[in-house]
Amino acid sequence: MLKIEDLSAGYENGFVVRNVRLKLEPGEFVAVLGPNGSGKSTLIRAALGLLRNARGAVLLGGRETAAMGRREVAREIAYVPQLPDPVFDFSAGEIVLMGRYARQGRLDAVTAGDAEAVREAMKATDTLAFKDRKLSRLSGGERQRVFIARALSQDTPVLLLDEPSLHLDINYQAEIYGLLKALQIREKKSILVAEHNINLAAAHSDRLLFLKDGAIAAEGTPRETVTAANIRAVFGADVDIRANTRTGVPEISLAAAESRR
Amino acid sequence: MNAGNQRRVFWAVLVAMALGGFLLSLLTGPVKTTFGDLVDLIRQYDRVQAAIFLDLRLSRAVLAFLVGAALSLSGAILQGYFRNPMADPFVVGVSSGAALGAVAALSLGIRFAAFGFSGQGLMAFASGLGIVSLVYLLSLRRGDFRVETLLLTGIAAGALASALTSFLLFMRSDSFDQAVFWLLGSFQLAEWPQVGAVAPWFALGLLLAVWLARDMNLLALGDEAARALGCPVATVRKVFLGVATLLAALSVSVSGIIGFVGLVVPHWVRLLIGPEHRRLFAGASLAGGTFLLYCDLLARTLLPSELPIGVITAAVGAPFFLYLLHRKR
Repeated sequence: MLKIEDLSAGYENGFVVRNVRLKLEPGEFVAVLGPNGSGKSTLIRAALGLLRNARGAVLLGGRETAAMGRREVAREIAYVPQLPDPVFDFSAGEIVLMGRYARQGRLDAVTAGDAEAVREAMKATDTLAFKDRKLSRLSGGERQRVFIARALSQDTPVLLLDEPSLHLDINYQAEIYGLLKALQIREKKSILVAEHNINLAAAHSDRLLFLKDGAIAAEGTPRETVTAANIRAVFGADVDIRANTRTGVPEISLAAAESRR
Repeated sequence: MNAGNQRRVFWAVLVAMALGGFLLSLLTGPVKTTFGDLVDLIRQYDRVQAAIFLDLRLSRAVLAFLVGAALSLSGAILQGYFRNPMADPFVVGVSSGAALGAVAALSLGIRFAAFGFSGQGLMAFASGLGIVSLVYLLSLRRGDFRVETLLLTGIAAGALASALTSFLLFMRSDSFDQAVFWLLGSFQLAEWPQVGAVAPWFALGLLLAVWLARDMNLLALGDEAARALGCPVATVRKVFLGVATLLAALSVSVSGIIGFVGLVVPHWVRLLIGPEHRRLFAGASLAGGTFLLYCDLLARTLLPSELPIGVITAAVGAPFFLYLLHRKR
């Protein structure tokens, strides 16, 4: 579906990620993990073609995104950025409608198809109840769901999310990931998230990609990659690993240094 | 009241106020006239009455409306452009730049007229556009363009232009009256050719703004997110900056600097009908025009001699602005 080949990308001062390869299969859920500054968000942005300083290729169904127009890319990949502070107080419904941009002519009225896509997206994210409420009146979790709804109304096979759990309370974190999982299973979306929470990512992803200093440090299923050795190598943290009592997926716990003796 | 009903009330009240404003403007002036005189003129043409109603009063009302609409639209565009509800034509330096051109023409004694503009008006227009181009070029760093740099450069350039204007006025203290015209604004010199000069450009600006309104909605949530949604951000930004500059420079060139309209009116309208830009651009234009129409009425009736309109816009605008801000809390 989405294929990243030898991608190096960054900003004015040089590359932040180097020689990254990544393949996102149809209907697959992949999480990019790594410490702050390891290049998770940069990788997501580069995959969308948002960075000017980039080398390598991003292929969508075999076509280079660099050769496609922005509208065309927007019909294939939807992006949920880190929660922006809304300067102007749009309503939840207005935000979700923005997802239809790439399928609307500039002066077209909102079509029945647009309205239907907005309604479906808001139903799937359980946001329909506050369609007319202003964004500033919503909680962080509700707001995040609205932006996911916007990505859904874009009606794309691929979904890219930049730290969807950031700044959210744990109940909302679980809620957002539960929603993403449901989208993967029900709507066969291919999902790529940048995430800092290892347990959250391991519990919901098919594959994990660990980045350290912009390069791939480990890659594989959660069972293969969530190991004490990998976590030490990537994050420089000593952790205990145990299997989740219900699912058997490995989880980390930060043991206090004292108790390690 | 739900959002849809509130918007319908907004439009109805505004249209009624605009029409009422035009009627009041037609009936107000140094020569006493009644509604009956106006009806007589419509029934039977009379050269004197036509001169009073059409050439003196209607041209002035239409120009005030157009300038108000243009300034307000320019402010609405720039607020979206900078994602900052405090932005107005002053932040990119266009107002101060245009005033500098006018005052420079004044002190150099340039006198000519073309395309419906006076020489000073043309100089104002050219220097308004010039200063924004300069600000834009200065903000391009290594081919990269940052909105924040543009904002700061614009404010600095505007301050510099204001300083030069003050200097020129200080050196030529005999032209005080004309200086007040440029620095505080007035429609005393309104004529049909000015209306003709402003109207087509305003129409074009409004058309472009409405055409790209959806793009502006996307820009409000960040350039990157906008591009990811499919918006050609760089092009859209250039068009909007061009339109906002053109509208503001044009306004200053026919009526001097009229402050507060571009800042406050789009803000009011956003509070009343929401931030969706297609509605906002249309609403801000209509509201800005209506607002300035009434301000001009006050400017010419409040005192025996005419007040500069900039005094009225600030005196009326600021309290109403504060009221709206606090009502929302």
